[in-house]
Amino acid sequence: MIHLAKEDVKHSYGKFIVTIFGVGLLLGIVLMMMGVYRGMIVDAEMLLKDIDVDLWVVQEDTLGPFAEASTIHEDLKYSIKSIQGIDKSEAITFQNLQIMLPQSQRKEKVLAVGFDVYGEINPVNPKHLVSGRPLRVNHYEMVVTDKLGFKLNDKVELGRAVYTVVGITHGTVSSNGSSIIYISLKDAQELQFSYSNKRIQSDAQRGIESSKSHMANTVIVTVKAGYNTEQIAKEIRKWKHKSVYTREQQNEVLTKNVTEKATKQIGFLAGILTFVAIIIITFIIYTMTMDKIKEISIMKLIGIPNSMIVKMVMEETLILSVLSWVVGNVFIRLIYKHFPKQVALEVNDSLMLLGIIVLSSIITSYFSMKKVISADPALAIGG
Amino acid sequence: MKNTVAIKVENLSKSFGKDDSYIEVLNNASFSINKGELVALVAPSGAGKTVLLMMLGCVVEPSSGNIWIGDEKVYHNKWLSKETRKIRQEKIGFIFQAHYLIPFLNIIDNLTLLPQSNGISDKVSKAKARELLNYLDIANKEKAMPYQLSGGQNQRVAIARALANNPKIILADEPTAALDIERSIAVIQMLKKIAREQDVAIVMVTHDERMLPYCDRVMKLENRGVFFE
Repeated sequence: MIHLAKEDVKHSYGKFIVTIFGVGLLLGIVLMMMGVYRGMIVDAEMLLKDIDVDLWVVQEDTLGPFAEASTIHEDLKYSIKSIQGIDKSEAITFQNLQIMLPQSQRKEKVLAVGFDVYGEINPVNPKHLVSGRPLRVNHYEMVVTDKLGFKLNDKVELGRAVYTVVGITHGTVSSNGSSIIYISLKDAQELQFSYSNKRIQSDAQRGIESSKSHMANTVIVTVKAGYNTEQIAKEIRKWKHKSVYTREQQNEVLTKNVTEKATKQIGFLAGILTFVAIIIITFIIYTMTMDKIKEISIMKLIGIPNSMIVKMVMEETLILSVLSWVVGNVFIRLIYKHFPKQVALEVNDSLMLLGIIVLSSIITSYFSMKKVISADPALAIGG
Repeated sequence: MKNTVAIKVENLSKSFGKDDSYIEVLNNASFSINKGELVALVAPSGAGKTVLLMMLGCVVEPSSGNIWIGDEKVYHNKWLSKETRKIRQEKIGFIFQAHYLIPFLNIIDNLTLLPQSNGISDKVSKAKARELLNYLDIANKEKAMPYQLSGGQNQRVAIARALANNPKIILADEPTAALDIERSIAVIQMLKKIAREQDVAIVMVTHDERMLPYCDRVMKLENRGVFFE
């Protein structure tokens, strides 16, 4: 049996390939936007997942520590630890810093996570530690993300001190996509809350106590099995006058307050690009059909059924859609690692795009099919 | 007794428009054409030759009258079949001014497309196509694409395509218009041979009076009527 679509594609091979590449690149960009969208969500959740605690205790009436500034006393961790049902409790700091990159004279924004090296909760996920070791001493050691380009034993100047890189992690980023460095709580407090001599002198003249080196941004807590996390959170709010967020609430604060607008924007853009791709595929199929309208009239005149011609249009639509999707996937998988921020490509997103494109193409090829069905066989006669 | 009539037309009329724009092309025309006949249809430009051809080809609906193709009455003041396409698919072959082969199909596929669309198997339709190509002396071109053949060769393929569905009638719209005199005569002689050997009636619109002596009869369309010379 003659396969009209196959023969037509074979005949206009070059044109078809160029079209597939054009649409494919567009679909690749759609996939990239979806990947950026997913990447932002993954980034936002990465730190929470690595820290893996049940409760976040922050300054009263704040959305800290990611969505809003929060400062609490470090020793709060002891009084929280004494509450029945608490398993572990540690103070932790988060601070945005500029760090000089090793290969260039350029500074890059990083998130410094400060934690008690001898404490019970270590935010460095061993799964992410690709070389070196975790922090072991209270001063001047640092674990860094591989994206920053440091090697083990590199010396990094930060504040008034020089740190040694002792460990390198992979894939550790903050909610806004910045690389993470891990330092001890003591060092972090010094960086965050200790001011320059001049500032201390100036503050002293004004009667201000400027040292807050016993402060932290949050106290992170794990709850013993069998205890109600919500109940314990309620208790801390009541007796300690602090804001407390459960794991889910903190996740929501992050996604709603920190990344929501950005992810919505990217999602919106991905939607528009998908729509544009559908319009382009529709237009291409329509143009391809109109290019063949004379042949279609001849086929109809000699008695070829509409169903056979419609099948040709439909199959060409499907071939174009599916092959463009394949090209788009290959294209994005070749380049996504070169993007500065994480592009999280998910098979489900890709399959969803295939479904949308195929379904929309079939629906919109209706215009071409309408043209086929209404083509006048008389057009073939009389030149 | 075997019916020798391939086309029979009775009181066929066709008009377009209303009031000021009313045009009558045909008024109560009646004629018949036998199997094995090659009939030339001649008329001045704009007289309605193509319209008549399209009515015989079940493409344009007449205003009134009757049409038979072979034994089957296909029109009686309206089409008697819901799908006139089916009549074309099974009973009518078409030849055009240009060859109008499907450019993305090779020669054998151009010939087998119509029979296969009518449920004829690939094997049977190809055997018939090869037979026709052989008959029309272009047997070695079955894998070629239309753009690889000369105008004359393509016109022969187009004639073969018109025969591929074993039609009762072939309607040819100026098939020699694009050919020189020698090739035109060759095509007319080929059509005459086909009409005889395949037992098919051929109605051929032509402007070229030099072709008329080669036809069995000449049908003139004049003053909205049909006359045979």
